[in-house]
Amino acid sequence: MSTTLLRTIQPNHFTLLGTALFRRNRTTTTSRHISVRCLGSQTASSQPRTAPKNHGSNKLDEILRDYEAVIGIETHVQLSTSTKAFCTCPNTYGSKPNTSICPVCMGLPGALPVLSSKVVDFGVRLGLALNCGLSLKSKFDRKQYFYPDLPKGYQISQFDVPIASGGYVDVDIPLEFGGGHRRFGITRVHMEEDAGKLLHSDTGDYSQVDLNRAGVPLLEIVSEPDMRSGIEAAEYGSEMQRIVRYLGVSNGNMQEGSLRCDVNISIRPIGQAQFGTKVEIKNLNAFSAMSRAIDYEITRQALLYNQGQADQIVTETRLWDEGAQKTVTMRKKEGLADYRYFPEPDLPEVILTQEYVDSIRASLPELPEAKRRRYEAMGLGIQDVLFLANDVSVAEYFDQVIGKGADVKSAANWLMSDIAAYLKNEELSISDVKLTPQELAELIAAIKDETISGKIGKQILFELLAKGGTVQGMIKEKDLVQITDPVEIEKMIMKVISESPKQLEQYRSGRTKLQGFFAGQVMKMSKGKANPALLNKILLEKLDAKE
Amino acid sequence: MAATRALLAAISSSCARRIKIQSSTSSSSSSCSILQFQRRESIIIARSFSSDTNSSPDISRLAETARISLTSAEIEECEPKIRQVIDWFGQLQHVDVNSVEPAIRAEMEGGSLREDAPETFENRDSIRASIPSFDETYLKVPKVVNKE
Repeated sequence: MSTTLLRTIQPNHFTLLGTALFRRNRTTTTSRHISVRCLGSQTASSQPRTAPKNHGSNKLDEILRDYEAVIGIETHVQLSTSTKAFCTCPNTYGSKPNTSICPVCMGLPGALPVLSSKVVDFGVRLGLALNCGLSLKSKFDRKQYFYPDLPKGYQISQFDVPIASGGYVDVDIPLEFGGGHRRFGITRVHMEEDAGKLLHSDTGDYSQVDLNRAGVPLLEIVSEPDMRSGIEAAEYGSEMQRIVRYLGVSNGNMQEGSLRCDVNISIRPIGQAQFGTKVEIKNLNAFSAMSRAIDYEITRQALLYNQGQADQIVTETRLWDEGAQKTVTMRKKEGLADYRYFPEPDLPEVILTQEYVDSIRASLPELPEAKRRRYEAMGLGIQDVLFLANDVSVAEYFDQVIGKGADVKSAANWLMSDIAAYLKNEELSISDVKLTPQELAELIAAIKDETISGKIGKQILFELLAKGGTVQGMIKEKDLVQITDPVEIEKMIMKVISESPKQLEQYRSGRTKLQGFFAGQVMKMSKGKANPALLNKILLEKLDAKE
Repeated sequence: MAATRALLAAISSSCARRIKIQSSTSSSSSSCSILQFQRRESIIIARSFSSDTNSSPDISRLAETARISLTSAEIEECEPKIRQVIDWFGQLQHVDVNSVEPAIRAEMEGGSLREDAPETFENRDSIRASIPSFDETYLKVPKVVNKE
């Protein structure tokens, strides 16, 4: 049974070995075996899992009643170090082709690799953030194959002793897709180098290579095949992006290629213990594409099963065609790839001391999961929590605002509505705004203690965001202090009433909605400074009293 | 001859892989325990390799993976020579390593890591000049569709 499990999960050698090596706690291989690892609202073992809500596709929901999708993801993260992994060439995006090169990354004879300490640091950081066990001794291996973007004819990677393994990540599924918590296992994290970039010419008979990217350090994260739907996979991907950005190990931009996800997916009839044939999907440029590609692939495979043509599903790599919104065959894998791994003779062991690991652990920032739980504990709704914790800069800003004593719910509301809208319109990020967290806290306090009205608050927010300045300063400068003196308000009300006898008569004869008209006039007269609650209270008294 | 030496390099790496794959089907919990597992089971897979006549190297496949072209005459000539070299290395299997902790790689002085400080290589021009098919910005290469 275990060989079946191993054989059908991943097609290439090292992960075959990987799943064998790092599956420490698995003693059984029954059909619910994988789903048991996912915590949260789903019951494990005997019942079929309730299918997560999809993009409103009934067809998919129907399929998921009969079939279970088993999804694993391999993520490559390009590290934001200053140099390449094994040489001192600068690691910058967007340089002129073939300018960041040297004999080491070009694979010229006699050149030797030297590992950058930053790569190890980032590897340990990410491993710890993903709750992995670390290998205090690990090594590099050569993964050998020939391809024009691979100067040495091999890629320096880690085969059987990766730097980190056996971890997990906790995610929250967005409310619109059903909500809930999930835990997905991480098989391993290892260090390796990137290949160059290959561009195919239009004329077709030759290609072009840019080796700026060859040797750039990568961390590869291999997940356990714990995801069961496109949404779960997309959320896993988003969380990987969030984590690497929180840690500062990568900018996690899928468009730039600093975060690449390949999906491995198979389906099996519910209740079947054996895994189905696995298909790999590449060329996914966004998490939404990942989700759609998975949905498409589930449908494609289920259709073949239903037509009795399950044997047409072969182990292969398919590309996601964004235009056509379908997966297409790239090539059929003929057997397992033979990378002829052997230990890299030019590099020594990577040795970590416990003190080193502990010091890195102590310096980790608060990670997304911890932040989400802390925000929840503060009483924020899950929608707010997910928004605030999504971007590390927004979360930091929020933390600073409430650190100055502002009311949690108000701060959340301002950030999520007016400020978010402003950022979107102006295409800015939170770090660009001139409104400091201190001033936002001031604004919230000023509204709370009724110095200014909520409406006025919104008005000056806009100016504060664009130009900065202080709340107190603006209040003084524009004379915005709210009028809360009932005597003054009454004066204004009496004036308005006396100036609109017609409306007064209409009000008295039943058109009570005209109260809004009077309120509006008073507001206008007070330049928006009248306290609305007080205004309406006194207004009502006056309007009804003279009856 | 050069072809033999090149093939041997290719073989040595595929030998290592084969040993590891055999032990993977026994669900060992770490690569270091591969040998321990073998000791426990009294099946020393590594030792049996050298006298295992069923696994003679597939020379033509090896040549293909190493991108070395051999005529069938050369293949026939290579095979016994390669077999002899492997058997010669096989002597190592007779060493009793039962009381030795498995190493993950042959030890090497250092463990020296480099600082993350960028330095531009001064002679990039001569690197680019030495590439025959360099066309101003890119390396021009034949179109290859399939990775190995």
